[in-house]
Amino acid sequence: MIITLIIVLISFLALGFLIRVAKSRVSASKVLENPTEHMRAVDLEAFQNLVDPDEAEFLRTNLPSAEFRRIQRERLRAAVEYVSCAAQNAAVLLRLADAGRRSPDPATAEAAEKLVQNALRLRLYALQAIPRLYLGMVLPGARISPVGIAERYEQMTRLVVLLGCLQYPTRGVSAAL
Amino acid sequence: MLWYYLWVAPHVLQGIILFAMVRRGWLRQFPMFFLYTGFEILQSALLLVVAHFVSYFGPVYFQVYCVGLALSTAIRFGVIFELFSHFFQRYPALSGAGRFLFRGATLVLLAIAVGLAVSAPGNVVDHALKDAAYASLKATTFAADRAVSVLQCGLLISLFLFSRYFVLSWRSPAFGIALGLGTFAIAELATTAIRLYVDARDEPFDLAAMGIYHLCVLVWIFYLVRVEREPRFTVKTLPKYDLEIWNQELERLLQ
Repeated sequence: MIITLIIVLISFLALGFLIRVAKSRVSASKVLENPTEHMRAVDLEAFQNLVDPDEAEFLRTNLPSAEFRRIQRERLRAAVEYVSCAAQNAAVLLRLADAGRRSPDPATAEAAEKLVQNALRLRLYALQAIPRLYLGMVLPGARISPVGIAERYEQMTRLVVLLGCLQYPTRGVSAAL
Repeated sequence: MLWYYLWVAPHVLQGIILFAMVRRGWLRQFPMFFLYTGFEILQSALLLVVAHFVSYFGPVYFQVYCVGLALSTAIRFGVIFELFSHFFQRYPALSGAGRFLFRGATLVLLAIAVGLAVSAPGNVVDHALKDAAYASLKATTFAADRAVSVLQCGLLISLFLFSRYFVLSWRSPAFGIALGLGTFAIAELATTAIRLYVDARDEPFDLAAMGIYHLCVLVWIFYLVRVEREPRFTVKTLPKYDLEIWNQELERLLQ
């Protein structure tokens, strides 16, 4: 009987989730109306500094162990924030680029296609990097380097600029990156 | 009257789905869903004939129903696989992660489904009963149906979660097919679970299942028949400072 109750409860939750998904599909188009509102600024240099293994090594050798662990936790917490912002920007750009993929201009469509694939890879990296950064917070001594995020973000920024040059609508978006 | 309406109407309406799919050229993109819809219409017609001319909801009817259910379930798995493939083709960057998710989710859900099937109480049948074989077949069918519903429901929810995280844009037909199928799988899961443990008449469950199926058919029709608006993103006027921003970005790029 308990199993039945659990299954019924899960069914209701799943149904609620489906209704939410159907509703969010309608509101997704609102992002296209004003994408800059949904973008979050990312300081790439600061992020690279936070996840730089040499920087971490320098702190490890120059700081007392307890102090290093505290600072490293703070640094990784900030890095998680940066990765989340980059992933959110990638999500906004994905919507923009997806609309651009259907452009009748082949150059725009190609640039948009590249941007879609790049933004997807960035979100994939973010999905892998965030748990690793949290692991690093639990074990501050472990060497954690979310390789690929900064490079991927830079590539994505370049593609946004390219798409912006090909298509007016991305005005202002590139400035937030 | 309601019973017959819910039995016949969804399958008549499914004819509209077949027509819309042929007319819009979606037959090539979603052949399994086309097959599923066609099969459901045929199965329903066959069951109607069996119920009226051979055995009125008796053992023969249930045997035919079981064979149909097994085939329909297999085709539904095909439809789910088709939906996953639809995404992997549109987003090659996710192909590896997507396949990993599909395999991982299938394995985990399969383990849960097998566990639930083994623990189902339906296999305990009083053999003193006159129609013990029929009762046993019924209980086994519901247990198997519940296990399958766990798997299908889980796979579809995983697909929705996956597409939500990666902000994948669903084209109307794919979204409609997944939404309808997901709703149906969830309803099947809940009703078969209650049927297995609660000793009650079949009629209310059948009515609920048929009503939900009717709703799912309407969802499919809505998404397959309506004209999808292309998401557009245009500006009325280009502000002066845009060139300045582009210039700044290009300078940054060249550095």
